[in-house]
Amino acid sequence: MGDQNTVLSAADARHLLRRSGFGAPAAQVATFTGMTRGAAADRLLRFTPAKFKPGGKTIFTVHNNWIKYMVTASQPLQEKLVLFWHDHFSTSNDKVDFPALMANQNLLLRTFCKGNFKSFAKAINKDAAMMEFLDTVRNQKEQPNENYARELQELFTLGVTDYNGNRNYEQEDIVQIARAFTGWSYGRKGVPAFDAEGAHDYMTDFPERGPKVIYKTHGGFGPGGRDFSQSAGEGAAEIDQVVDIIFDHNDSDGRKTVARYIAGKLFIYFAQPYPKRPAQPALKPIVDQLVAASQFDTTWEIAALLRAIFVNDAFYATNVPAPFAENDLKSVKWPVDYVVGTLRLLRMKLKSKYLYVNGGNYASIRDQLGNMGQVLLAPPSVFGWNWETAWVSSATLLARYNFANDLISARGSGSTHFHPEKLSAQLKALSTSANADPNAILTAVTDVLGVTDQLTTTDQTNLLNYLTENGTQPTLDLTDYHTRNRKLNGLFALVLQSPAYQVH
Amino acid sequence: MALTRRQFIKRTGLVAAGSYLGPSFFRNPLLRQALAANLNDLDRYFVVLFLDGGNDGLNTVVPLADGTSGNLRTAYQAARLTGNGGLQLSVSDLTATAIGMDITSGTPLALHPGLIGLKHLWDANALAVIQGCGDPISLNFLSHEFSRGVWQTGNPGGSSTFEGGWVGRYLAANYGGSDVPGVSISDSVAPEFLQTGTSVLAVNRLADFGFPYDGNYTDDAPFKQDAFSALYSQANSAAQATLRYIGQGGAATLAATGSYQPLSGLYESDRSGFNQAYDNLDSGVARDLREVAKIIYGVKQGVPNVNARSFELSNGGYDTHSDQGTSGADDQHNQLHHEVGDALEVFYNDCLDMGVANKLCVIVWSEFSRRIQQNDNGTDHGSQGPMLVIGGAVNRGVYGNHPNINQDALNDDGNTLYSQAAGDPYRSTDFRDVYGTLLKHWLGVADPLTLLPVDSGDPNAYWTSPNFDLGFI
Repeated sequence: MGDQNTVLSAADARHLLRRSGFGAPAAQVATFTGMTRGAAADRLLRFTPAKFKPGGKTIFTVHNNWIKYMVTASQPLQEKLVLFWHDHFSTSNDKVDFPALMANQNLLLRTFCKGNFKSFAKAINKDAAMMEFLDTVRNQKEQPNENYARELQELFTLGVTDYNGNRNYEQEDIVQIARAFTGWSYGRKGVPAFDAEGAHDYMTDFPERGPKVIYKTHGGFGPGGRDFSQSAGEGAAEIDQVVDIIFDHNDSDGRKTVARYIAGKLFIYFAQPYPKRPAQPALKPIVDQLVAASQFDTTWEIAALLRAIFVNDAFYATNVPAPFAENDLKSVKWPVDYVVGTLRLLRMKLKSKYLYVNGGNYASIRDQLGNMGQVLLAPPSVFGWNWETAWVSSATLLARYNFANDLISARGSGSTHFHPEKLSAQLKALSTSANADPNAILTAVTDVLGVTDQLTTTDQTNLLNYLTENGTQPTLDLTDYHTRNRKLNGLFALVLQSPAYQVH
Repeated sequence: MALTRRQFIKRTGLVAAGSYLGPSFFRNPLLRQALAANLNDLDRYFVVLFLDGGNDGLNTVVPLADGTSGNLRTAYQAARLTGNGGLQLSVSDLTATAIGMDITSGTPLALHPGLIGLKHLWDANALAVIQGCGDPISLNFLSHEFSRGVWQTGNPGGSSTFEGGWVGRYLAANYGGSDVPGVSISDSVAPEFLQTGTSVLAVNRLADFGFPYDGNYTDDAPFKQDAFSALYSQANSAAQATLRYIGQGGAATLAATGSYQPLSGLYESDRSGFNQAYDNLDSGVARDLREVAKIIYGVKQGVPNVNARSFELSNGGYDTHSDQGTSGADDQHNQLHHEVGDALEVFYNDCLDMGVANKLCVIVWSEFSRRIQQNDNGTDHGSQGPMLVIGGAVNRGVYGNHPNINQDALNDDGNTLYSQAAGDPYRSTDFRDVYGTLLKHWLGVADPLTLLPVDSGDPNAYWTSPNFDLGFI
C-alpha cells in the first residue's frame, strides 16, 4: 500500500512525468527518481498558471500559437490541465466563429486550471465564447433557451446520474435555471454584460412560470428545493446563486455530487481509463478516497485533488511492463499528447507560422491532428472528444503513422529537423560506430522514447530482425549517412508507430 | 418494468464511442446461429446516414393540409410561427416537394423544400418515409448522448447478450476476423458498427489512405512492412483489450491501404462525369457519399480484396436550438437539407448509372426529433420523427403514423408521446421495427430477434410486439 511517502523508482518517475506531462525526458526522470510521491507531486504542482493567451486574428493562428506554446512549455502539467478543461467546458469555434473569444477562454482555462473549481464554474458561466456556444446570448426572457441550463448540469457540474445511477436533476430544474441565465450578452471585446431590464426573466414579469426554485426532487434539499432568486435578489447575481446551490447538491449517498463528478473525471483523465459518462459505480471507492484526502468537497481546490491522485496507488497501478495481462489498464494517448509528447522527446520544433513538420508530407500540424481526430478549439460537440479506443481507427492510426514518418524524414540541419544522434549519449556514441550493435541501438532508441519496458521480447526480436535485415547485417555501420537514415530513422518510425507507443 | 438508465448502462457496459471495451464479446451462441446469406452473397449494399444533433422531423416531413382527422396542419400552424424567427413552412413553400399522405389521418404531406433532391427520388419510386419513429426511453432524458446510444446499440434494455452496435452485431455474426465488410467515412468507427469479431475501416478519403514509407529509402519498405506487421499481429493476440483493439486496427489499416487506396483513382478515371457532379455540390456529405460510391464501384468491378458493402457516414449541425430558419437560402435547416437531399440524389443516380440502384439501400436517421412548439427562433429536444429509406428496391410510400402534434396531446416538455398501443391512430414506430425490417428484408437475417432484444413491460409503452414486415422494402 503506497502513499505520499513512497519513494519513486525510475519507472514510477517516468510514468508520473508521462501522465502529468507530454513524454518523460531522461534528465527529468533522473531528477524525480528517488523523490517521494508527495514531494514529486508538490514539485509538479508548484507553479503559478502563466498568463499566456494564444494570439492571432484567425483561428489557425490561435491554434498554432497554442501548439507552439505546448511544445516548449516549462510546466507541461499546466497544459495537460488546460486540455482537460478545454474538453470539459467544451466550446467549438465552428459555432462561436470568433477567434479572440476562443483565445480569451483559453486564458481563462489556464488561469483556473488548478485553482478553485467553484470560482472556475462561476467564471465560465460568463465567458463570452461559452455564452455563444451554448446559446446563453440567445436566451431571452420571452422564450428561454435551455441549452446552457442543461449542459451546465449534465456536463459541467453534476452529470445526468450519480454513481448509483439515480438522476441528479429533472427537466423542471433545467427550465428554472434557464430563467437565471436570461438577459446576458457580451460586448465587442468579450466583456460580459447583463441587461437587467430588457431581457431578464423577473418573477414579477412571469408569475405563471412559478417561483425560481430548483432541486425539489433531487439534491437533498427537501421537497421545497432551493430558491435561487431571493437571497441575492433577482438579476445579475442569480447565476452565482445557482452555482452555489449546485455545489451544495448531494447525491443519493448524501455526498457532494459535484465533488464526486469532478474527482471521477480527473481520475479518468490522469490515471485509469473508464467511460467519461455516465458515472461508473466501480469508481465510487477511489473517488471518495480522493475527495476525502483532498477535502475537495469543502474547499473545491483542484490542486489538492490532483495531489491526491498523484500519490494514490491507483495512479501507479497502470505502470506495468510488457507483456500486459488481461486486467491491466492502459490509456490511449490523446492525439495532441502523441504529437506534442513526441516532438518534445525528439527535441524538434515545427516550422514557420504554418507549423508543419519539416519532412515527409510537410503537412500542417493542425491537419495532422485533425486526421488523428482532434482539432483543438473545435471539439466535435458539447461532449468534448470521445476518449480511449474512440481515438483508434484505421483513419486515425494512419494519421499517427504519417506523422511519425514525417518526423523521421525531416533531414537537414536546424531545430525543425530530426537529429537522433543528439538525443542521448548512447545514440551519439552509436552514431559514430562503424560496427554498432543492434541490441544497443534498439535499447538506445526505446530509452529515448520511454518504451523500453513496454515492448515484449517478441517485439524486440522483430525490431532486431528489422535492423539486421533478418540477420544478414549483424552490425550496422552508423557512420554511413544512408544507413543511419535508412535503419536508425526507420527504427524510430517503427517504435513511434508501434502499438505500445500509442498507450500509456 | 421501468427501464432506468442505470440498468441500461450497467448491462450494456456502454458501447458508445469512447467507451472502454471489455474482453468478452460475442460468446453468445445465438449470434453464431446459421443465418441466411450475407450482403456479399446477396450482392447488395447498405448505407447508414446519421443526421447528428436531432433533426427537426416536423419541418422535414410537414403536414400540407388538414386531413380527415387530426387537424395536423392547423396544429402545425399553431406551433410553428410566422414572422421574425418563425419556423412555419407555408403551403407555397411546400408544393414543389409534396409526397404521399399519412394514411391514418388522411393528411397530405410534403418534404422540406431543401429536400427537393429526395422529392425527385420519390418521383422515381426510390424513397420511403417512415413516420413517428421513436423509442420508449429517450423522452425521459432528452439527451443527445443517451439517445444516440440507444439508437446505435438498438439495446435500450441493456441486455448484456447484445453488445456493440446494431449493425456491428450483424457484421460480427456474418463475417470473420480477416474480413473487412464495412467502412465508416469518418475519423472513427461509427458506434452502430462497433464490434470485435471483424474489421470495419474508418476512412475519410481513400486517396489519402496509403501507408507511409520514407520516400528516399523505398528499398527499406519491405523490411519496415514486415516489422510493422509483426508488431501488430503480436498486439492482435494480446491479452489486454486496448492493445488488442489497437492491434486489430493497425493490421486492418495496413491491409486496407493496399487495396482501398487505388479505388479513388479508378473511380476518378472511369466515372469522371459523376465525379464532377459531387464536386459541384461542394459539401462534406457529397464528398463522403462519393467515397462510398468509389468503394461500391470497386466491389462491382471485382477489384481483388475489396469486399466492403456496409457503410456509415454522418452530417452534423442538426441541433437547432436557435436560428433554425425555414426555406431561405442561408437558413441553417434548409442548408442541411439541401446538403443531404442533393447529395443523395447524385449518389442514387450514380448507383443507377452503375447498374446497382436496385441493390442499394440507404437508411437516414437522427437520435430524436424536436419539440413541436418552437422557442424564440429554434427548437429544443426531442419528439419522435421520420426515418427515410432510399433505394431502387424500396416500396415507395409513407409508412407509420404521423405523431399527434396537437397541443393537448403533448407531454409536459412539449413533445409528442411514444406509444405502442394497438389501435392508437398515432401509434409510434419503434426504431427497432425499422432496423428489423431492414435486417430481415435487406440484410438477409432470418430472425432479427437474434440481434435486437425486445423490451419487457407495459405493451402500450414498450416495444414488446415487433413488426419486421413494415413493408417499405
